[in-house]
Amino acid sequence: MVSDQQNLLFTYYRSLNCYKGTQIKDVVIKPDAPNSLILDKHADYIAAYGSKKDDYEYTLSEYLRMSGIYWGLTVMDLMGQLDRMNQEEIIDFIKSCQHDCGGISASTGHDPHLLYTLSAVQILTLYDRVKAIDVDKVVDYVRGLQQEDGSFAGDKWGEIDTRFSFCAVATLALLGRLDAVDVGKAVEFVLSCMNFDGGFGCRPGSESHAGQIYCCTGFLSITGQLHQVNADLLGWWLCERQLPSGGLNGRPEKLPDVCYSWWVLAALKIIGRIHWIDKAKLRAFILACQDEETGGFADRPGDMVDPFHTLFGVAGLSLLGDEQIKPVNPVFCMPEDVLQRIGLHPDLLT
Amino acid sequence: MAESEEEVDVLVQRVVKDITNAFKRNPNIDEIGLIQCPEARYNRSPIVLVENKLGVESWCVKFLLPYVHNKLLLYRQRKQWQDREVLVDITCTLLLLNPDFTTAWNVRKELLQHGVLNPEKDLYLGKLALTKYPKSPETWIHRRWVLQRLHRECCPSPSDQKEQRGQAEAWANGNGPGHGERLQRALHEELRVCADAASRYPSNYNAWSHRIWVLQHMSQGSVKVLHDELSSTRLWVSMHVSDHSGFHYRQFLLKALLGELGQAHNGSQTESLHPPLDPRPAAQSNGEAGACEAGLTDDPHADTIPQLFREEMELCTDLIESYPGHETLWCHRRHVFYLWDRWQKLSQGTGSLSPAVTDSNALLSEVRDPCDELQASRAMDIDCVQDGSKHGGYTQDTKRLKRGPVSPWPGLLSEHAFISQVLGTRSTPEQGRFARAYRKWLDSVIGQ
Repeated sequence: MVSDQQNLLFTYYRSLNCYKGTQIKDVVIKPDAPNSLILDKHADYIAAYGSKKDDYEYTLSEYLRMSGIYWGLTVMDLMGQLDRMNQEEIIDFIKSCQHDCGGISASTGHDPHLLYTLSAVQILTLYDRVKAIDVDKVVDYVRGLQQEDGSFAGDKWGEIDTRFSFCAVATLALLGRLDAVDVGKAVEFVLSCMNFDGGFGCRPGSESHAGQIYCCTGFLSITGQLHQVNADLLGWWLCERQLPSGGLNGRPEKLPDVCYSWWVLAALKIIGRIHWIDKAKLRAFILACQDEETGGFADRPGDMVDPFHTLFGVAGLSLLGDEQIKPVNPVFCMPEDVLQRIGLHPDLLT
Repeated sequence: MAESEEEVDVLVQRVVKDITNAFKRNPNIDEIGLIQCPEARYNRSPIVLVENKLGVESWCVKFLLPYVHNKLLLYRQRKQWQDREVLVDITCTLLLLNPDFTTAWNVRKELLQHGVLNPEKDLYLGKLALTKYPKSPETWIHRRWVLQRLHRECCPSPSDQKEQRGQAEAWANGNGPGHGERLQRALHEELRVCADAASRYPSNYNAWSHRIWVLQHMSQGSVKVLHDELSSTRLWVSMHVSDHSGFHYRQFLLKALLGELGQAHNGSQTESLHPPLDPRPAAQSNGEAGACEAGLTDDPHADTIPQLFREEMELCTDLIESYPGHETLWCHRRHVFYLWDRWQKLSQGTGSLSPAVTDSNALLSEVRDPCDELQASRAMDIDCVQDGSKHGGYTQDTKRLKRGPVSPWPGLLSEHAFISQVLGTRSTPEQGRFARAYRKWLDSVIGQ
């Protein structure tokens, strides 16, 4: 199967390689890295973030604005500071993003998508204001995106991804309308994306990926099908994501990252295996990703902070049991008290 | 430098035009980039074309991006009408600067539907965006939509699966009419785009999962394409031993070959390359389940499959020994051995394996405890194959013997011997850790 020429080349490159030891792909946490939680700074950082609307960066990220607002509001709520955000302005904005088809877009003038429909419903649930939008139309929109094989398209253009399966059932569960879609078929599709290592990818045959695993275990939790997961095998793979620095990566030989730390940790919590990792080391890694001057969390120690990593840093610390933060729900990445208020208790394995 | 709103308008319109003209002047532009240049230089366009490279001077981006961004959104909200040609130009500029702007790609989908753009031209823009943003999820998503459309243009009646399948196979082999050639060109171009993006960003999930999608939807189960991919990525993974996505792609290819080689002669519904055309039976909900049924009946490929696996395991051994301590390589070993083990067990049940395979199986079944390393290495010695644990090294003789005609197929026994050999060699602590984890995995996942 392999040509001689290829084998020759292969040997040639091998001989060029003077590689000896292994460089584990990881970070080193410096002794002066932050090691205590500076919640006030984080709240100030998020409160100020939304006011820089003319910023070039703000234009660049407008295509995901709705999710950005969800990240910011959720982390504020987890820190008990949701009242610092302008509720009415945000509700008006969400209303302006609902389209005739029922779907919600990232910002005004953008096209509707399941990703932003879920973010909008999450925000409205935080504020207990779901009735501000046309809920029936949202349900119709989600239902309309389910395909014959049970999968969900992200929007009318038809891209399929297990992320969208999660968005669909999470949106409907928050609205109390899970019965609107064919849950059995939806489960069948997600299970067809399960791999030999117990993990999940974006489509059948795709590589296991911590973000997709979070979506798929979250999906199976919401649909009451967690018994279909091989929890020991998947837990094993997830635990292998922890690196010597304590941080978690999302796939083999990738760098540790605060957002993957959340996805892996949440998936472990969902399948009842969170005690399999070294919690103290992970906590130290997450704390080291704070910026003591500006507030906020970065992906790794010393990098630029953003609202996305700030939410997942704080949510991760909450799952690790930090009592200065409200308990977070691992499936919805929302405060537990909010889900209790609407009577939603997604399954977790023990 | 322009300051007033009017001046910005004029400036930006000129820059958008310069970009369009650059593409007209040189249709072979193959890469885009940002030229770090904080201030404008007098009387010179910020668009620089050198050979086949298109550069944008960074000073103009802060004017350019908000302008084209707002222009497109005004059009989308039906507040400002735009000619189709203008839309082509502004989405082009916008997407080269911000390729994850989903709505801009959607505008281009509509332009395609109206025949203003052709699929190849649109794929070309995405390819350029990927030279600067090789991960851009929205660019990959848009490509899949365009490719599906192209596929429909070429094969208008997908109702008769059988005929289409045969036809596409002929096309994939280059024997078809004009449509087939177009599709084949698109397939090969797409595989090139994936390879390029994979080289620009390590473990590029989007590039590699797109490559899988391309095979599932465009190669129509062509065994030749699968073999070509397997051999063309061999050197690449050998030079990117940390790239788990690249190795996962090879695992996918092996699994697909298992399915296609099995399907080629018995027509059974096994793990298929094209899920939309081939609904999986409900019982096979686990994506791994189907592949291994390929060897269920008399199989003319019975030797091809073990040969593929032996080559892959040898490659893996070779890389693990040359580049100690890479988690990716050990993960690869797990999956390849898992696929092989499943295939072997299913084949054994139907007696379809070639004698060499069944013989080595018989040898394996005599060993009562696969975890007993001593026993394992003794058994391997008898077979004159694996002398690593005795002599403490991997010799040329071992290599020659391994490749000789009498060498057995991989099995639990040889895997345990390999682990013992790795642990017996002085190596990095990580290598030892990965080897022990692999042993534990064999014991708890395979050995049951």
